[in-house]
Amino acid sequence: MSSECLLPKPTHISILKNPYYDHHTTDRSTMKSVVVLHCFLGFILLLSHLNSVYSWKKEEFRNCNQTPFCKRARSRKPQHCNLIATDVIIADGDLTAKLITPKENPHEEDSSSNPLILSLSVYENGILRMKIDEDPSQNPPKKRFEVPDVIVPEFESKKLWLQRYTKQVIHGDSADSFVVYLFDGYEAVLRSDPLEVFVREQTSGKRVLSFNSHGLFDFEQLRVKKEGDDWEERFRSHTDSRPYGPQSISFDMSFYGADFVYGIPEHATSLTLKPTKGPGIEESEPYRLFNLDVFEYIHESPFGLYGSIPFMLSHGRTRGTSGFFWLNAAEMQIDVLGSGWDAESSIMLPSDQNRIDTLWMSEAGIVDTFFFIGPKPKDVVKQYASVTGTSAMPQLFATGYHQCRWNYRDEEDVKNVDSKFDEHDIPYDVLWLDIEHTDGKRYFTWDKVLFPNPEEMQKDLASRGRRMVTIVDPHIKRDENYHIHKEASKNGYYVKDASGKDYDGWCWPGSSSYIDMVNPEIRSWWADKFAYTQYLGSTPSLYIWNDMNEPSVFNGPEVTMPRDALHYGNIEHRELHNAYGYYFHMATSDGLLKREGGNDRPFVLSRAFFPGTQRYGTVWTGDNTATWEQLRVSVPMILTLGLTGITFSGADVGGFFGNPDTELLVRWYQVAAYLPFFRGHAHHDTKRREPWLFGEHNTELMRDAIRVRYTLLPYFYTLFREANVSGVPVTRPLWMEFPDDEATFNNDEAFMVGNGLLVQGVYTEHAKDATVYLPKDHTWYDLRSGTAYKGGKMQKIEASDAIPVFQRSGTIIPRKDRFRRSTVQMENDPYTLVIAVNSLGEAEGELYIDDGKSYEFKKGAYIHRRFIFSDGKLTSVNLATSASEGTNFLSDCTIERIILLGHSSKPKSAQIEPSNHAAEVELGPLQIQSGARSSVLTIRKPNVRVSDDWSIKLL
Amino acid sequence: MKIHTPIFVFFVLSSAFVLRSAAFPSNYLLGVAPEDEIYYKGLWSSGTIKCKDGSKTFTKAQLNDDFCDCFDGTDEPGTSACPTGKFYCRNVGHSPVSIFSSRINDGICDCCDGSDEYDGKNRCKNTCWEAGKVARDRLMKEIATFQEGVAIREHEVEEVKISAANDEAELSRLKNEEKILKGIVEQLKEHKEQIEKAVEKERIQKEQEEKQKKEAEESESKEHKDEDKVDGAEQEPAESTDEDKARIFDNPPPPGQNLKEDPAEPAVEVVHNAHASLDIGEEHAAQEEERSEVAHVSDPNTALGSKGEDATKDIDSLSREELGREIGSRWTGKKPEQQHNDVDDLKNNDETSVNVHDEENDGYDTETDEYDHQHYEEDDAQYQMDNVGDEANDDSSSSYKYEPDEEVDMSDIESTSSPSWFETIQRIVRKFLQAVNPFQTPVDTSEAENVRKEYDEASGKLSKIRSRISHLKKKLGNDFGPEKEFYSLYGQCFESKQNKYVYKVCPFKEATQEEGYSTTRLGQWEKFEESYSVMLFSNGDKCWNGPDRSLKVKLRCGSKVEVADVDEPSRCEYEAMLTAPALCLEGKLKELEHELEALNKEQPQFHDEL
Repeated sequence: MSSECLLPKPTHISILKNPYYDHHTTDRSTMKSVVVLHCFLGFILLLSHLNSVYSWKKEEFRNCNQTPFCKRARSRKPQHCNLIATDVIIADGDLTAKLITPKENPHEEDSSSNPLILSLSVYENGILRMKIDEDPSQNPPKKRFEVPDVIVPEFESKKLWLQRYTKQVIHGDSADSFVVYLFDGYEAVLRSDPLEVFVREQTSGKRVLSFNSHGLFDFEQLRVKKEGDDWEERFRSHTDSRPYGPQSISFDMSFYGADFVYGIPEHATSLTLKPTKGPGIEESEPYRLFNLDVFEYIHESPFGLYGSIPFMLSHGRTRGTSGFFWLNAAEMQIDVLGSGWDAESSIMLPSDQNRIDTLWMSEAGIVDTFFFIGPKPKDVVKQYASVTGTSAMPQLFATGYHQCRWNYRDEEDVKNVDSKFDEHDIPYDVLWLDIEHTDGKRYFTWDKVLFPNPEEMQKDLASRGRRMVTIVDPHIKRDENYHIHKEASKNGYYVKDASGKDYDGWCWPGSSSYIDMVNPEIRSWWADKFAYTQYLGSTPSLYIWNDMNEPSVFNGPEVTMPRDALHYGNIEHRELHNAYGYYFHMATSDGLLKREGGNDRPFVLSRAFFPGTQRYGTVWTGDNTATWEQLRVSVPMILTLGLTGITFSGADVGGFFGNPDTELLVRWYQVAAYLPFFRGHAHHDTKRREPWLFGEHNTELMRDAIRVRYTLLPYFYTLFREANVSGVPVTRPLWMEFPDDEATFNNDEAFMVGNGLLVQGVYTEHAKDATVYLPKDHTWYDLRSGTAYKGGKMQKIEASDAIPVFQRSGTIIPRKDRFRRSTVQMENDPYTLVIAVNSLGEAEGELYIDDGKSYEFKKGAYIHRRFIFSDGKLTSVNLATSASEGTNFLSDCTIERIILLGHSSKPKSAQIEPSNHAAEVELGPLQIQSGARSSVLTIRKPNVRVSDDWSIKLL
Repeated sequence: MKIHTPIFVFFVLSSAFVLRSAAFPSNYLLGVAPEDEIYYKGLWSSGTIKCKDGSKTFTKAQLNDDFCDCFDGTDEPGTSACPTGKFYCRNVGHSPVSIFSSRINDGICDCCDGSDEYDGKNRCKNTCWEAGKVARDRLMKEIATFQEGVAIREHEVEEVKISAANDEAELSRLKNEEKILKGIVEQLKEHKEQIEKAVEKERIQKEQEEKQKKEAEESESKEHKDEDKVDGAEQEPAESTDEDKARIFDNPPPPGQNLKEDPAEPAVEVVHNAHASLDIGEEHAAQEEERSEVAHVSDPNTALGSKGEDATKDIDSLSREELGREIGSRWTGKKPEQQHNDVDDLKNNDETSVNVHDEENDGYDTETDEYDHQHYEEDDAQYQMDNVGDEANDDSSSSYKYEPDEEVDMSDIESTSSPSWFETIQRIVRKFLQAVNPFQTPVDTSEAENVRKEYDEASGKLSKIRSRISHLKKKLGNDFGPEKEFYSLYGQCFESKQNKYVYKVCPFKEATQEEGYSTTRLGQWEKFEESYSVMLFSNGDKCWNGPDRSLKVKLRCGSKVEVADVDEPSRCEYEAMLTAPALCLEGKLKELEHELEALNKEQPQFHDEL
């Protein structure tokens, strides 16, 4: 390819892309043929660039330099902070201190010289909470915003009441440091001059996490506007009045013994967070956390997407895992500093080679932070979950396959798509309707022509066990005849603009206002709108999708709401922006809960998210694009969401924008089938891409992918329950399961489903095989063939018809091998257990079952078994705590087949106790499909009930 | 889940089933198709048989024991144990079907005889009698349609032979005439040019004489200048006509140059008209282009939209509302104005575009002439059907003839209506050529005028003949199917109204979607596909951010030609159905009759049992 081919001239691009040019067909075809003739390869490249012509409009979003608080914070040098801690006392079980600027610097601006209040609290299981805010007794002009309704109420009850501290002199400081107990083997230290807060191991004194070790802490205190102060900020055509002036906060945080840091979604980047600043690092933007509706986002960029979770994890081989969470809903920017970035400062920190420093900057709010000591990966996610909650237990149907498109046009279209799934014997559970189903983008209404009988439509789907989801967005059409608008404007339920009028922005319906969801009263009003009597045309099988809740405002600054818009309680939008979508999601979820009297688990998909979102529903990675890169990046994006609490997440299968190649679509199904939320979705300009439209062979491949998901649903559901109980995600980065295997730390091509399955995606075209790293000290069994592979090295695996998936030795995975239309018809189907024994001939696994929809499980109405295989004997042990009276969950389901992988002997039969009957042992297929040739040891028809205690002994 | 054999008993309801499988217990053969029963016989003789895919063998005890032994499902025809299996429902009273094994005992009644739900959890009513009746009725109706259609088709194919032959004959005749007329026109042209040269010569002479006279007789020279003008117009006929028109349309000429004030105006007018009728085909095309251009330009979407497409445009200069539309349009792919319309509920879009539709009709009206009517009515007499659909349908459909662009006013040269025309012109011209002597001076101006007129007329007719030839060639160049059964669809359009849209399908030409006054081209005729069961229209109007529009018309037998069920399954990829007698094939009719026979055979037995 010649160099002129490499870079197509921009004029060519615009000519080809401009649809209005196309009326002059001759010109266009001339242009085309010229390009083709002169530079065929260049043309191909040019076509592939067409997307990017319309992709992400970088200039429409602020970068750090255009964001004054970020620019200021980033330009500060280490040791900028001159605060010291005084008046250190124990009060109400907390260690508190005043942070003041010492008198030696009287020339400092007095505006920032009011003391700040710092408090350290300790919670069960190794959590240190540090808050810093202005001193209310100094009467600041406004109370700074603390994000409500994120921390779970139970968390307060886990507080350990500090009784005392010990004093210590560190590094020959002139002032004392104050040490408090944190957890067995860990303590928290408040160093008063220079100000520093850190967590260390008690015996070794090794640090784990530290705050302000580089003295970059800065807290802009609110002050009264003085004559001549110009606080306004302008970006493009927008002006932010900033009536309260600068109020940002920034500080440095250090993670010790860390090889990598992870977390802080949402960014379309790798799993490990690459340094954004430092020697030898190409100057980069910080990671931005600012919920935005980004049109055609690109991968490998630190710009902010739809949701924000200011929670970072570090992991290293020596120390393990630790975490840091800053509860703050304003715009945040985070730098990961490359090692040596502080070389010119004279700061002496422990010479830990694996320290990773980070710089955290936020436009407003307070310091309300949580230090998680780990030390294992699962400990950190559990610690985080104890603050923000574990993920809600989903309904079983929601864990199946979802079919969506913008838009399934009308009732006939819905019927047709639904029937095609049956025609091709492809299971699916939910059919989705996008914005076009409404009457003029008025949510809770139906287009009377396209959807004249919504109830009948839903009932028809429900008769085959299928659900429907409709979209409900937070922008409300300003139409006097629209009941939602009438009530909201009458009751003053809208977000106000800076002048106090209802904020009027532009979204799908045109001129719109936005419900002020931070107010619990308004949330309650909104929740009532989902009652069957209010949402006409809704039925119990209808669930909800919340989109555009960043919020997306087409004519707002950066396609969102102005920062000076006002919420309930005189909260500025800048203070809670990142949580707006969260409150909306919460209100919608509450609505679905209310409509069924609190006993039907809500299903609400949201695009925007914030810490705590996991308690209310599901998220997806927004408007991705049909490219291999975006398939590739969807995996680390979803893994990161799992690490930061939101395990029930997924990406649009096939890519929202553009038309995927058939091969890409197939690969996407194959990977997505193992990710927690599994939904096909597409933009309305794309070609139809339901799984049966690409020829018989490809239909088969996609059907296989979907079916594998359905066979594994018992396993997935058990994992969702684990996540619901502990916060450990369903899909996990390899290092979470193998924290000592360094080769896994930055692997984001493969992932674990639970502790048993390793999935390696295929992200390139024409791949006949895939190279997989299998973690060491385990044997891995190919899911399709049963072939055993040794761990600890790369393996090349045939992958033309399916992606490589392996079961780890030592695990037992429950499956249901019969395919049905949807999860509903699978309820009574028998189970298959697949046992992969380890080198000791042992294996373990769990199975959780409940009614799949209600909250009866909270009263103990569930079955939870642990299967233990040892010494040639499989035992089923009850894990359920005894249910309260009358709430037993009963199941007649049996186990029809038990498959043994890696078992050394060749038994002939198996003895089942306590029923004292025998079952045959024979060679059978690992997966039942025509043409299957693998022969694995199979216990035929043990037919024991899953709910019972039993044992099966191989003879 | 446990399967108890006794459960099987309640659904063993067909005596035929029991009779046929008398050799072995019927409940074991649950879900087996009659033609497959023989395969399982071995189970009762030898005790084991092979799975159909040869992978394994299985025993009698393993047949339908709710455990999958054969990967292909051979051993579990009656349970859901093998995912690849099929279950056969007899559906006595209706037609038997094989369903996926995943449907067995899934709580949903899939077989009309209810045999797929036997675990006692869900009782299914036997609805085969009703369903069968519906199916039979539908089949009978279809057969009736086919019978009618087959007859029409037969007749039509015969008719088409004649009209196609007529067209062929006309074409060869016209080709011949074209040849001769071409010669005449050339002769006349030569003659005319000679006369003009002579006139010019005379004029120059006169001028020189005038120069010598100098002061006087200015009025005379002015007359000659007018003649000059006429010559100029003659030299580039079509173009100048159009240009003139355009000029008049765009900016009226200054009063001083206004032709109407010119004394020589009538002469100019004549020439102008002659040229206008000369190249009517071309001009029509030009008009059409112009019209579509006008439509595009006057479409406010286009104007604003193209602004929207400018990647480098500064969106900051927009008003808040414009900005909202602009940004929103990125997702919708709609031009901001379009979105605006959507937003305003599409109620007041009357103002958005010019009356393209009317204009088009006017255009056609002026082109309508006797020739076309005659020509088409001959062929299409049997198609002049009423358009009232016999099935209840919200959407109306209708058909009409269109006047193809290339159609020309042939009334004056059409041989059937005026057979003597050709000879007449040849005679006249011969006479002229003899009578007028260009070398004679001074030139006889009246004769010169006559030659010029004669030339204009002849070349006008030549042009019409050529145009007609090209039309016929184009028509005959189409693929009308193996028996030319689609011949009669040429030159017709079929409409279907669905919601706010009117879809227009003109086979061999184009397909459009009209909404109010705006027309979107769904595609130009491309070809038949799938052995004449699909018409493909492609390369329609470009979709924003999507493909060029296209339309697939699925063809089905019907006694009338009607278009229905227009759909857009994928963005800008349309589908429609068209019924036509051309699709009513004898063979298919026989198939349907056999099918009905088979259905009826089952029925009495079943009825007796009730």
